[in-house]
Amino acid sequence: MSDLVARPLVDYGPAAEQHITQLAELIRAHPGLAGRTAPRWLAIKLLEGDEHIQARVAALAGTEGLLDAAHNAGAEIASTCGEDPDVWIAGQRYAAINDLVRDVIVRDSAPRITLSDRVDRIATHPLWGLPLFALVMWLVFEITANLSGFYIDWIDGLFSGPLARWAGALLGWVGLGGTWAASLVTDGVLAGVGGVLVFVPVLMFMYFFLGVLEDSGYMARAAFMADRFIHVIGLHGKSFIPMLLGFGCNVPGIYATRTLEHEQDRLLTALLVPFMSCGARLPVYMLLGAAFFGPRAGLLVFALYFTGVIIAIALGFVLRRTLFREKSEAPFIIELPPYRLPSLKNVWRHTVDHTRAFVEGAWTVVLAVTVLVWFLLAIPVGVEARFADVDADHSALAALGGAIAPAFAPAGFGDWGPSSALVTGFVAKEIVVSTLSTIYVGGADSALPEPQPLLTDLGEIITGFAAATWDTLRGLLSLLPGVNLFGSESAEAHDAALLAALRGVFTPLSAVAFCMFVLLTSPCVVTVNTLRREFGTRWMAFSVIMNLVVAWGTSTLVYQAGSLLGRG
Amino acid sequence: MTTPLQQVLEALEQARGPVSVAQISRALEIEPSALQGMIDFWVRKGRLRVSGDPGCSSGCAVCAPDGTPQSCPALLVIPRRFEVVHPRE
Repeated sequence: MSDLVARPLVDYGPAAEQHITQLAELIRAHPGLAGRTAPRWLAIKLLEGDEHIQARVAALAGTEGLLDAAHNAGAEIASTCGEDPDVWIAGQRYAAINDLVRDVIVRDSAPRITLSDRVDRIATHPLWGLPLFALVMWLVFEITANLSGFYIDWIDGLFSGPLARWAGALLGWVGLGGTWAASLVTDGVLAGVGGVLVFVPVLMFMYFFLGVLEDSGYMARAAFMADRFIHVIGLHGKSFIPMLLGFGCNVPGIYATRTLEHEQDRLLTALLVPFMSCGARLPVYMLLGAAFFGPRAGLLVFALYFTGVIIAIALGFVLRRTLFREKSEAPFIIELPPYRLPSLKNVWRHTVDHTRAFVEGAWTVVLAVTVLVWFLLAIPVGVEARFADVDADHSALAALGGAIAPAFAPAGFGDWGPSSALVTGFVAKEIVVSTLSTIYVGGADSALPEPQPLLTDLGEIITGFAAATWDTLRGLLSLLPGVNLFGSESAEAHDAALLAALRGVFTPLSAVAFCMFVLLTSPCVVTVNTLRREFGTRWMAFSVIMNLVVAWGTSTLVYQAGSLLGRG
Repeated sequence: MTTPLQQVLEALEQARGPVSVAQISRALEIEPSALQGMIDFWVRKGRLRVSGDPGCSSGCAVCAPDGTPQSCPALLVIPRRFEVVHPRE
């Protein structure tokens, strides 16, 4: 022990040790420093250029010579050792630590392989890591699509039942029953905003399962693998971060491009972010998935998310070799947390935080556009009719939608309804659902339901929620292979009238083409405005046009190819 | 003789793509805790640049009008990454 104390643990090499000894002598000779601190330690600190120590020494009188000597010694070490003195000293220190660890730690066998290491051998494998991630995501979408339906039914019943009755009672109480204001509430607000809010369970389920993956540490591995992949195809590895953020919302995805140092990398990545399917697009996929693909809606959602990524990567590949040739990529090291059991508290917070923004958006942007859509549907065009008493086919919205509908005919959705929904959906993609709901359900039955006692309504809400929870639990168990707790019964989620109406407007093929269009066009005006603020009007216009061209081209290709194959 | 500190930087400079801290730790036979200290040292020296979570701690499912990185939370927490900074930068 005494030998250890007497002999320095770290040998900094002959060149550095010589200077350390000389500086230590100078320190011992200084009356203000001698005896106050360990001379060797202070000499090393001065050689390392520790600013705090240098300042304290400089504050003492008569230390100029010592500081000059330390400065000159540092320069000599740099010259002799080929490293800055602080790098040299730290290097020697780590070498000593390494030697010490080797000497004193006796291992029974090879370095311990932790459970995280074992899982990572599969989860981050260069070949099957990404396919495994795709499989995990497919499962997330499948489970989400299959389990959320019961709560969707419950919320749908809430809007068409108790909420509609309460609205009717309130309107009757203020003397507006049977007027256009009543129609605005039922056909506009309840049909439109309600049509969007019924998808809250879908988002909650999706964010819940993503939260489980996130909190377990698996998502960090996914980021690592995708980073590696994106690097291989020629994009900046860091581009993956904004693209990943784009799955939640494209706006922070575009802001996140600020982490890229080079302007070309930044711009290229920002142009690709809008192809990432944000949460607002999910209700559109779920609605059309429910109408045409039933229990296979999850597969449709997964395929659409996957398509967005593939198209972004392909476009990135092309743009990197045409408009953005400057390449700047540096190797990097990534910190992966160990795997752990997800905390229910963290996962729940993740779920609520992400869903809250969707609900807030429904009561602001969606509500405003829904009211506008209702007014456009209420204004008669080309026929003699009263305001708010006109067939939707002869409304201002039909006239506007009909004007652009021919452009969408090659993609299979050349009707004025879907065309109008795509136009209003430029504001925000969930508005596509509220517009379709207002057009196809809003006018179907504008009469408000008869009121019933409040306790009966509250009982209906509570029993409905309990039934949805029970069915969800049964659904969860039924996901296990060989288990079916529902027998031959099958509940059709969502508003049956809307689904029936959509089946009259779309075919399965045109519904897929429509979803493709929604996936690939600019997501919302906020994203477009963010692009303008970050990159200027020219690049914003480029992005919008590029998204439009890719969306139209892809959806048309899907529809035409499907028709040729007899799937139309 | 190359010190472990230099070996870490060299391994990173020679990497053909992203590597994890655990991979470097295994390859160089350096304890993960010691490796973290070495990485932090190179960050302080400016030879590695830290990036990752761009500041969003949670995410917005819809594109809210006030969508900014601060108020618009990200979908996922991005792991920290350390990128080699070339001396010319």
